[in-house]
Amino acid sequence: MHIHELNPWRTLIALSAFVVLLVVGFLTMQKPLMAYQLTMDESIKELTESELYFYPWDLEAVIAKETDTIILFDIRDRFVFGQGHIPGAENLSANDLTKEENIARLEELKEKGFTVVLYGEDELQGNGPLMLFRQVGFSNVKLLLGGYNYYFQHKDDLYSTVDDDGYLKGFARFDYADMAAPKEGALNSGAEKKEVQVQRREKTNVAAGGC
Amino acid sequence: MNRNYIFLTLLMLVLAAGTVFLTMDDEPNQVDPEILLQEIIQPTRYVSTDQVAKMIIQGDPSLMLIDVRSEDDFQGYSLPRSVNIPLDSLLTADNLSYLGIPGTKVVFVSDDDIRADQMWVLTKRLGYKGTYVMRGGLNCWMQTIIEPEQPSDDASYADMETYSFRKGAQIYFTGAEEETSDGAKVEVQVQKREKTNVALGGC
Repeated sequence: MHIHELNPWRTLIALSAFVVLLVVGFLTMQKPLMAYQLTMDESIKELTESELYFYPWDLEAVIAKETDTIILFDIRDRFVFGQGHIPGAENLSANDLTKEENIARLEELKEKGFTVVLYGEDELQGNGPLMLFRQVGFSNVKLLLGGYNYYFQHKDDLYSTVDDDGYLKGFARFDYADMAAPKEGALNSGAEKKEVQVQRREKTNVAAGGC
Repeated sequence: MNRNYIFLTLLMLVLAAGTVFLTMDDEPNQVDPEILLQEIIQPTRYVSTDQVAKMIIQGDPSLMLIDVRSEDDFQGYSLPRSVNIPLDSLLTADNLSYLGIPGTKVVFVSDDDIRADQMWVLTKRLGYKGTYVMRGGLNCWMQTIIEPEQPSDDASYADMETYSFRKGAQIYFTGAEEETSDGAKVEVQVQKREKTNVALGGC
């Protein structure tokens, strides 16, 4: 004979306590600060979109305060920010990006329809934060191409950067194969041109294991 | 029987019904965004072209170069011992098997560092460790290893050291003949890019 059969009330109380605990647990479950809104596939696809980026000559309008829906965030640290920054930019240094109030701020800006333009020292510094913010659903975040360095070099004449490709990334600036080919008088250049060694997809899992 | 069993059964059914509301998650395991962001802001993932050259020359077995450019570009020129995984075909099981091997250093290479860095963020989101980005990419590789610029005469000792390493690496990678330091022979240095800090110039 079980104990609950002797005392049904006791069982009922225990059961209610159990249910209450579950409900309370679910209700107070902490919502994560950020969650991925884009799947891996979507994230990869998004990288090819040009709307991720903000071009240096577009800054002209922002600096002249002709637009009021664009906010510049400087993700460099406070010290460097103090030494010089794009006029009107706010400092949100990379180390503080995970702070709750900053995420809340970004959410607020998104709701109000602002475009947030991040910039770092160069494009590379801002690339990671841009990708992360995009992946967690801040579709209003963009990245300034060329970063602060490029802006600083051209700040007197930003319009002229329309024709410049100095800040563009992702293409070869040299003919690699030609440049790396054995030079004239090379020690081991025979009559035929030395083939550039191309090793394709050779599995090296083996290396991790023993013999 | 008694009520309690019925009650308990009902409770279990209700809880079971709760699983209906769980969303299906087909995505592979991923790092929490907050942790990912903390990793992203660390600059420790960058390796220089000199470091990569050194590892290739020394035949470092733990080095794994992954070229994220397109297949065509890869056929045109690639670093020795590198494998090609274009950014958009990362997510195949075959390609993912290159990552996360204990004890290997995976270095992503692209034209410059942006594509490689994008690859890095994506693999980091998937939780792979031991991945790096070659800073400056192949453009920087050409400028520093394949055609290193000679530092000026008053350059620092470190600059000179770097330069002499790069000259050696140049011979290794191109088979170019070592210049004899003959007084009469004046090598014309083609200076395409003006840089202030010559040898150590960052790309």
